[in-house]
Amino acid sequence: MQLTHLNARGEANMVDVGDKQATRREAVATGRIMMQPQTLKLLVDGALPKGDVIATARIAGIQAAKRTHELIPLCHSLSLSKVALDFDIDEQYECVHVEAMCRLSGQTGVEMEALTAVSVACLTLYDMCKAVDKTMRIDAVQLESKRGGKSGDYQRDGSGYENVPPIVTGTGAAGEVSIGERCASPCVRVKFLAELRERLGESEAIINLDEMESRDVGGLKVALAKRSDIFAALSDRRALCAVNQVMANDNAPVTDDDEVAFFPPVTGG
Amino acid sequence: MNIGVKVQLAPFDMAYGYEDLLAQRTDVGAVVSFTGLVRDFNESPEVTGLTLEHYPGMTERTLEDISEQAWQRWSLQGVRIIHRIGYMAPGDPIVRVSVASVHRRDAFEACDFIMDYLKTQAPFWKKEHAQKGDYWVKERDTDQHDASRW
Repeated sequence: MQLTHLNARGEANMVDVGDKQATRREAVATGRIMMQPQTLKLLVDGALPKGDVIATARIAGIQAAKRTHELIPLCHSLSLSKVALDFDIDEQYECVHVEAMCRLSGQTGVEMEALTAVSVACLTLYDMCKAVDKTMRIDAVQLESKRGGKSGDYQRDGSGYENVPPIVTGTGAAGEVSIGERCASPCVRVKFLAELRERLGESEAIINLDEMESRDVGGLKVALAKRSDIFAALSDRRALCAVNQVMANDNAPVTDDDEVAFFPPVTGG
Repeated sequence: MNIGVKVQLAPFDMAYGYEDLLAQRTDVGAVVSFTGLVRDFNESPEVTGLTLEHYPGMTERTLEDISEQAWQRWSLQGVRIIHRIGYMAPGDPIVRVSVASVHRRDAFEACDFIMDYLKTQAPFWKKEHAQKGDYWVKERDTDQHDASRW
């Protein structure tokens, strides 16, 4: 690991990005400003002497992102394609969360721009509220995620909406058919996938063959609906079905140890 | 039949399929490749990423089955399909289909056919992440219509 802003003699040095390929880059930074509950209330009510605080802080953040190279000595000037700031007023923790996203297609990263945008937005909030509150504190300014570029993607652990774990149905690795546990008595293993799983709040169910009036998909749906009303959704025209991983309709027979999956229309590609 | 399908979490190399289709042979006259990418706008204007779920086992079988159908309908020399699952950011490739044939028309049509069938039959589901929250992508009637052409 080497600091890219130092040259071979250890002197400050602007990195030559001319040979780097232009790729799409994006960085998200966050920070917060803690304040007294009364100040927060004035901010929410728009009753502060300097007017619409959030709108001003947003413009300040955007302007700051564009001028980052004037503030940070060895930073390149970039033509950003997008700067977005989000403010979240948190009454529980008595603070305002600030999030900045910067994007461009270019040869160098945009995390300095995102961090600068957050910092200046926080400073602007401070400036506009300082008449009523001297105790405010700016902290936790940090990079949340970064995409594109040679050093690869970065994602801070445990952060917000972008930190979504990959969902892969079943426990089998790609290319394998996952084999569930065998049931003691003759039964059918049922899986609910994707949007249907989230709507039903269930990912799997086991139905004994004895519970089914007819030993086909239609009978399975009836047996499930008897267990809970939520499974009535399986009779929806949009709910598709596969028996042992082959598409099937209501008349398809099911027997002991079959795997039956219900899922919404597919949206791959 | 010279068919290869792959479903994986990791990003794939854009050369995937191409080199493989041409390895140790010089009788191929055309390779047509299609790449599907994550757009930053779809059902909402600010898509920050998407997560693709699939049905392991059935996915691979379906892709193989679609490739075999293409093999029966056109005169092909090879088919490669690679599809990613899990989290992807805007700009990331999701799927790449490459088809080799002696003459271009077979490869063009087979590639088009494979994508139409993949979009309407292979058990993949997209969940988009946007500034306003997450939602499951709806199927499109136009995809069904496209698939019914064949």
